[in-house]
Amino acid sequence: MIGIDDEIVAHMSNPNNYGRIEDADSIGIGENPQNGEKVIIYINVQKQEESLIISEIAFEAIACMTTVVAGSIITQEAAGLTFEKAGELIAVTLGMLEQVDPEQAACSEMVAVALKAAIDGYILSQEEGEKKTLIYKIEQSCNPETAFNSQEEK
Amino acid sequence: MKNLLIKTHEVWLETLMASFMSSSVESRQVLNDFSDILFRHFGWIEEKLVEQKVEYDYNREPIPIKVDSLVVIVNNIIERLGTMELMLPFVEDEALRFRLQTDWDYIKYKLATLEDEVVTAFSGKRTYKDLQLSSEATDALTLFLFEESYKEYELIMIYNYLKAHSSDDYLNKIFQILVDESFFHLKSFGEMMAQMGILGVPRVVHSSLYQVEDVAEFLKDGIDEEIAAKEQCKELSDAVVKEAEELAKFFDFINYQENYHIALMENALKHFKSKGSV
Repeated sequence: MIGIDDEIVAHMSNPNNYGRIEDADSIGIGENPQNGEKVIIYINVQKQEESLIISEIAFEAIACMTTVVAGSIITQEAAGLTFEKAGELIAVTLGMLEQVDPEQAACSEMVAVALKAAIDGYILSQEEGEKKTLIYKIEQSCNPETAFNSQEEK
Repeated sequence: MKNLLIKTHEVWLETLMASFMSSSVESRQVLNDFSDILFRHFGWIEEKLVEQKVEYDYNREPIPIKVDSLVVIVNNIIERLGTMELMLPFVEDEALRFRLQTDWDYIKYKLATLEDEVVTAFSGKRTYKDLQLSSEATDALTLFLFEESYKEYELIMIYNYLKAHSSDDYLNKIFQILVDESFFHLKSFGEMMAQMGILGVPRVVHSSLYQVEDVAEFLKDGIDEEIAAKEQCKELSDAVVKEAEELAKFFDFINYQENYHIALMENALKHFKSKGSV
């Protein structure tokens, strides 16, 4: 279980960026294939010189409260970042998963891969000229004994 | 009408949250009764949308409720109702329009008479009454209340949606009982959260959860979730039994209530399978 302090209570009672962006530039989904839990990330993107910037971000979670907290924290950090910096944020988040308990790891991974799916989906959409919603499945498991690796695109 | 549904949803939830944060028995009762009335309005408006075959969902704006004194949120509710009056000309059904207007008139009048009080529902103290819980038990209770208050709200919205889209009297009776049961649980958890200084509005329910394509599968999953909820209540009861007998008994009570919900859902599943539709 996550340790709870005032900051975590604030994320639980009023998560940052919770909701959806109508007609978002890109939507990415992170999914736990074991229990069907999902995180949906919506981003709007601005082009500034050579960089692509996440100008607006929102998320929805069909998942537990720990995922909502992870979504609140990670989307808050991702707002305003360039795709390059957001990629670093995703890498750092995924790199830290072994240091936290399995449930928390699965929740954080679900948010991180949803953000990655939104970014990758935006890039793919620009290349192919039509919007693509990517779904990335997580590798961590709330229950480590049944963990497996899987990733898919739609 | 779609916008009126959204605004009614928001004012219903805000009034319900205000009832949780009031420590005056009288104001709490008034606010709770009004939130019930506003939820019934929500159902009537939804019924019209279904009749008119208008597509809608339960999306809504965030509802800020963090106040220091009750009068602030009460005035905000009055203001919201005033804004909603501008939408009344779009309600074609004269009887419904009259019901909404007259109910809102009285609600606004009565709310304006409520005594102000200091609100401590956001203090973050995380203690319940005078009970001395370990930090581990306090964390478990905090997480449980956030998870389950959302879950009960989710269930209210799901069963409400299923009821709005079903013409089967037997299933609708079951869905209504489940809505009522979840209201009681939400009220219990909400009041507890307010007393612990951690009150929060449940997050928006994603449309895929209530726009159910396979009702039988949904009911089967729901039964599994109720079984899991029973286990959570038992774990929580066991965790606090030594420190707080009152809380342990409350979670045992919730646990046993889930048996009734499971039986209702099993009946609904059996009936649904025999009919093959809602």
